[in-house]
Amino acid sequence: MSHSAQPSALKMGIPIPNSKLGMWLFLGTEIMFFTAFIGSYIVLRLGSHGWPSNPADTHINVFLGGVNTFVLIVSSYLVVLAHEAMVSRDFSRARRFLTGTLGLAFLFLGIKAVEYAGKFSHDILPGHIAETPLQAMRKVDRELERVVRRRFAVYSDYRMIDVTQRDDISTVANQIAAFGAGAELPKGASDSRAEVLRPQAAKDVELFRQYSRLHEHLVADVSLSMPASGPEYGAARAALKPGESFPPLTLSEVEEFLELLRKDETWGGAVSSGVFQPHVMLYGNLFASIYFLITGFHAIHVVVGMILFAVVLLQRDRLDEKWSDFVENSGLYWHFVDLVWIFVFPLLYIIH
Amino acid sequence: MSHDSHATHHVNYLAIFLVLCCCTALSVVFDVLHFAKPVTIVLVFAVAVAKALCVMMFFMHLKFEGNWKYVLLAPTTILAIGLPLALMPDIGVSYYTSTAPQAGAWGRDVAAWEATQRANAKAGGAAHE
Repeated sequence: MSHSAQPSALKMGIPIPNSKLGMWLFLGTEIMFFTAFIGSYIVLRLGSHGWPSNPADTHINVFLGGVNTFVLIVSSYLVVLAHEAMVSRDFSRARRFLTGTLGLAFLFLGIKAVEYAGKFSHDILPGHIAETPLQAMRKVDRELERVVRRRFAVYSDYRMIDVTQRDDISTVANQIAAFGAGAELPKGASDSRAEVLRPQAAKDVELFRQYSRLHEHLVADVSLSMPASGPEYGAARAALKPGESFPPLTLSEVEEFLELLRKDETWGGAVSSGVFQPHVMLYGNLFASIYFLITGFHAIHVVVGMILFAVVLLQRDRLDEKWSDFVENSGLYWHFVDLVWIFVFPLLYIIH
Repeated sequence: MSHDSHATHHVNYLAIFLVLCCCTALSVVFDVLHFAKPVTIVLVFAVAVAKALCVMMFFMHLKFEGNWKYVLLAPTTILAIGLPLALMPDIGVSYYTSTAPQAGAWGRDVAAWEATQRANAKAGGAAHE
């Protein structure tokens, strides 16, 4: 039997180009990828009663989210027009539409950057958010210690003090106090620099004392109106009747304390920039994790789409009908990115 | 093939684009109008689904594609829904209850904090009087 006598091979498979089939299979995996995030978010939110929904707490900007939705819709429209132009062999028109899409993608990321900056400036970051008043007070304590250490570092960096144990903040404070009182400078220290730093040393030590006071009251869980250390604390404790205890430290006290520190001329600015306004947000860390996870991965997809369009645009005059499938598949990808945002926008921005 | 399939169907993309813009504006309007929360959720999701359908059917040309789209997308959709459904009983329904440590700590701390706030407000009010 000859081979030619055999029946011709059946035409099998899905009646679309392989590249398009590949793109749709990829989009299938992408659907599962984003549904995992969005679905988990919905489930977590349903299970977390008291989920932060006030824009004043979360710093979610509905207006910017809405503008970004509009930007993506316009870009999707331009991609469709670009593909139509490719099919009708009007390649320069297709390039114009793709340039517009690329520009809108940049705009989308720019707006997202503004939103992210708002989150960073309010410390709405995973793991940074106090979920109880106690956590908020501890956060103030930590941040204030960081401010003190940063101010103290100036003295050791300029060798005004001879620090052997930088971690021991009380010893460093004592050395700075001595330096401020006119103690002899270590070898190699600049006299002119010492003249500048010496007048503010006492104030920086005073900031350390304020921090120590807060820290002691926080550790002892005693109101700032009561002593929390030293002989006064011992005497007050001895005077307590059986069953009595000191009033505990409250967040509003810490807020007032912080407000006073911020008013100081010498270190008010450093405290303002270094210590965030205490803010309690239950499930705030979960919210921040989900917000950055979903919007972050979406932004990465936007960047990938931009690369795809840039590849087409780099062809310039060489763009021809051979690129039609590429533009169509890139368009499919871009519409999917738009599709994800269509659900992210109401879920993260609108439903409070 | 695919080009031919949707090249033969004329779609008014501008009309679809305008519908999408109107839907986006509607979502924001529903947010601004402050309906009851369940009403807002239903309305906003209805709009989102309508937008998604517009994009998938017309911009992604699924309306004009053959039946292969069901073969390709149905398993994906079923698997995608599987994860949230699997998580729902343990996390969505009964994870952070009022007796969970986190919620308990929150309750104690907040009660103390709110009592202080109330006392301060009362003291402030008395001072004004």
